[in-house]
Amino acid sequence: MTSHAPSAAIRPEQVALPAGSLLARLPVLGAGLFGLGLVLSVVFRSSNPRGFAFAWLNAYLFCLTLALGGLFFLLIQRATQAGWSIAVRRPVEAVVGTLPLFFLLFIPVWLSMGDLYPWSLPAAAHDPLLKWKAPYLNTSFFTVRAIIYFVLWSALALYYTRASASQDRGAGNGPTVAMRRFAPPAILLLALTQTFAAIDWAMSLSPKWYSTMWGVYFFAGAFVGFFGLLLLLVIPLQRGALHGIVTIEHVHDTGKHLFAFTCFWAYIAFCQFFLIWYGNIPEETAYYQVRIHGGWKTISAVLAIGHFIIPFFYLMGRTVKRKPALLAIGAAWILLMHLLDIAWIVLPVSHPEGLSIGAVEIACYLAVGGAFLAGIGWNLKRQALVPTGDPRLRESLAFEVS
Amino acid sequence: MPQLPMVASLPPGPYYGALAEFATPADLYHACEQVRDAGYRRWDAHTPFPVHGLDRAMGMRRSPMPFIVLGMALLGAAAGFGLQYWVHSVEYPLTISGKPYFAWPAYVPITFELGILFGSLGAVFGMLGLNQLPMHWHPLFSSAPFEKASDDTFFISIESWDPKFEPEKTRQFLQGLGARRVELVASE
Amino acid sequence: MPPEAEAAVLDNPVDRRPELILRSPTFKAITDAVVDPIEKPTPLGWWFFFLPAVALLGLLGVAVSWLFWEGIGIWGLNVPVGWAWDITNFVFWVGIGHAGTLISAILYLLRQRWRTSINRAAEAMTIFAVMCALLFPGIHVGRVWVAYWMFPLPNQMGTWPNFRSPLLWDVFAVSVYGTVSALFWYVGLIPDLATMRDRAKTKIRRIAYGIFALGWRGSNRHWSNYESAYLLLAAMSTPLVLSVHSIVSMDFAVSQLPGWHTTIFPPYFVAGAIFSGFAMVITLMVICRTAFKLEHIITIRHFDYMAKVILLTGSMVGYAYGMEFFTAWYSGNPYEMFTFTNRALGPYAWAYWTMISCNVLFPQVFWFKRARTSIPILFLLSILVNIGMWFERFVIIVTSLHRGFLPSSWGYFRPTIWDVSCLLGSFGLFFTMFCLFVRFVPMVATAEVKTVLPQADPHYQPGRGHAFGAGHTETV
Repeated sequence: MTSHAPSAAIRPEQVALPAGSLLARLPVLGAGLFGLGLVLSVVFRSSNPRGFAFAWLNAYLFCLTLALGGLFFLLIQRATQAGWSIAVRRPVEAVVGTLPLFFLLFIPVWLSMGDLYPWSLPAAAHDPLLKWKAPYLNTSFFTVRAIIYFVLWSALALYYTRASASQDRGAGNGPTVAMRRFAPPAILLLALTQTFAAIDWAMSLSPKWYSTMWGVYFFAGAFVGFFGLLLLLVIPLQRGALHGIVTIEHVHDTGKHLFAFTCFWAYIAFCQFFLIWYGNIPEETAYYQVRIHGGWKTISAVLAIGHFIIPFFYLMGRTVKRKPALLAIGAAWILLMHLLDIAWIVLPVSHPEGLSIGAVEIACYLAVGGAFLAGIGWNLKRQALVPTGDPRLRESLAFEVS
Repeated sequence: MPQLPMVASLPPGPYYGALAEFATPADLYHACEQVRDAGYRRWDAHTPFPVHGLDRAMGMRRSPMPFIVLGMALLGAAAGFGLQYWVHSVEYPLTISGKPYFAWPAYVPITFELGILFGSLGAVFGMLGLNQLPMHWHPLFSSAPFEKASDDTFFISIESWDPKFEPEKTRQFLQGLGARRVELVASE
Repeated sequence: MPPEAEAAVLDNPVDRRPELILRSPTFKAITDAVVDPIEKPTPLGWWFFFLPAVALLGLLGVAVSWLFWEGIGIWGLNVPVGWAWDITNFVFWVGIGHAGTLISAILYLLRQRWRTSINRAAEAMTIFAVMCALLFPGIHVGRVWVAYWMFPLPNQMGTWPNFRSPLLWDVFAVSVYGTVSALFWYVGLIPDLATMRDRAKTKIRRIAYGIFALGWRGSNRHWSNYESAYLLLAAMSTPLVLSVHSIVSMDFAVSQLPGWHTTIFPPYFVAGAIFSGFAMVITLMVICRTAFKLEHIITIRHFDYMAKVILLTGSMVGYAYGMEFFTAWYSGNPYEMFTFTNRALGPYAWAYWTMISCNVLFPQVFWFKRARTSIPILFLLSILVNIGMWFERFVIIVTSLHRGFLPSSWGYFRPTIWDVSCLLGSFGLFFTMFCLFVRFVPMVATAEVKTVLPQADPHYQPGRGHAFGAGHTETV
């Protein structure tokens, strides 16, 4: 099973998406879902604006976290000069490249501020605690911060995807050095902006609650969710268009990341819960009170078992990670669990009695998810599926887990 | 691949086996592939460090260590959780900081630590057990060149238990694989 | 080292992996370089480190004996500050230990081959640091003669330890950590002990090393189980090291004290532990590589990477400081806000700003390659980082205790000569053990370093460098 030396340089035309494949149809499929979802959403918004607001935020955060997780991954690979991931970097860039789109998709969230965030309402001026937080939690500063986040994320996404693409067209080694040098400061900026975005958009749904771990928790879910998505893009490519170029070794290694960050998510999520549970201070336990009683109790148990225990044992062994079909099931499962995690964060604020995925929630998933998929598909089509100009592509193609 | 016998005993006949010396990992790797393909079963390679891919070149199966470790880790975790449950819910229940008797979140740290402890003990002692170590005496130690096996030289040893072992034939076979020298190691 | 060689060491090629070990040594050259100093008679320089360390160890013995005789009152502890240097030192030493496991286990899982030059010494550092760490909770209990009550041993009183207490989780976590670290270190040592055995010139040495080498004969069937066990130990040590310092952080975080009760403590403490541990590794390696003439194995590139890890983990610590500060304001909780302003502006401001300078400010020089590759700066910074991390634990513990919810109970802690003696003495214990380690045991994992040389690859062709495409992993 020794692999032979990879042949001479791969030409970009060799690694394009075959027309008619599912991934090639993604832009159209996604656009269709987006259109349908948008129409339905508008209809639902008129009858139930609050329900729509939370449903849109829910779907939005689910997809946004996947793209942000991808950006973290891309920057970390650049900073550490990782070799193994080069062969699978284009699907990562395709996901990351959708970040500018999220600027537009944020508009319904911004328009629904009044339904989502109690601190944005005029009544907040009479609540002493909300008044205290008003220098930070006010609509203007909230808007300015959102703009800053999107400008930074879009700039990073566009720079890192375009510099990588330029190497396909013969830009040489220069971009690799530049991308590597900028990656560490970029990671710091991303960490800070993602933390405050998580605070602004998710934590301030319950403005009287706080947790210093929040940014880390948000990142952990984003990161593991992203690996689920990446596998669902890479596995079809490994079996189809990129067979022999992207190997089972790359799939295996990505699977290891899925396993490792499932454990990391569980560690962070448990620590946050545990410390609040143990201290038992009412202003902190309020967040968990609604989530461990009533209808949400079941969802919490499902998360603990489904987002950790089951994937822990499923993804632990070598066998599953080296059988793409089995690993794909695991990846889809993690993605589903991440969706549930985001729903568990957002929806108890509007529906304390329990989880209800109704028509409005599905419409929003279709709209945001459709746009996200269309963006990924469009990015995949625009570049070669493998960064043919990367100076260390050969090392990645020859990669063996061990 | 058959395992070495559980009891360290000496083979019948005057020789323990043949020992061939190689200069580089590359030489050793190719020689191992040939020994494997020639159908020998009771043989081994000796290296100062693990050589990448040598397991495949020798036709070896994967180690069973992961199963031993997983079993031990689960045992340790169960023991830890069970102990805490028994102490706090059965044997001497006390209300501590207003928490219920079965305060399972608080049991997680020790459960986890004991799982890791048992798993690690399983890894270390399982590995030593599978390798039948300590085995402070072995016929190969009587060979003077073999001292270099822990420094910079690579060896193949074919034991005389192997059905295909014949002293002169095996020695010539090994010589033909590019060995620097081959010796027949006495069995006492 | 000649300047051209140094310059080559510092390059960062875009299209291939850099050489980790300099001067293209043979396998035997590696063995000789590492093992020769141990086989020769003790050099004078060793005594310069060992004797003062033993003296400090003696001081520790005196201080601990007096502590057992007279009681905890000989320390500066008072009401409200019931924990001060004792627990600071405990967390300090446990934190330092974490770098060893990170280098051994986490860098192994991340396939970072540069770890092979430093992992043996780092793992030894971990074991000794954990010894020093376990000392403090052990001696601070007061009635040391009933310390066995901490363990779940059936007894005539029918009582059991309180498993719901983080103090007991510490007992389990740090004990397991010490045990597993020692096992991991020993397992890694077995092939090198076999090397020592085979090279031994005297019968006593041959027998001594031979006993502990367990009869290792380099069999590939053994290597297969060994490598599997090593990987599994690494895979278990990774969550272990995360859990141990998380559990240590829970000593504080499960309480209700402002400044202690905050959810980010577990990963924040782990990042801080790695931060201080790597700094200690740098301090030790700067001295050892020159003392043992191993500059071609523990190279400037290794320090470059270690400095980057320090920058990364220092940034994580800085992030946590920022989050705590922001959330203290955001929470609107007057006690939280007071705690943080008191830290910066109150009676312990001197400690707080020492901490901020050493942990956040000074390590920023490591953004610059010049700093990461300069031995004097590396040495100085590594000591400053450890000073900063000691102060971080001191600030966390004492500032939250000395001014709590009830102003009439406010107080101030001052260390006594016995607090200082215990801390200095613990350094004595640490350096005594480390000196003994480097004197008798190969301080570099020679078997592992050999795997990193280009000629260890069975598909290596001399003159063509690393053979990419020959089916093996290549990572730096």
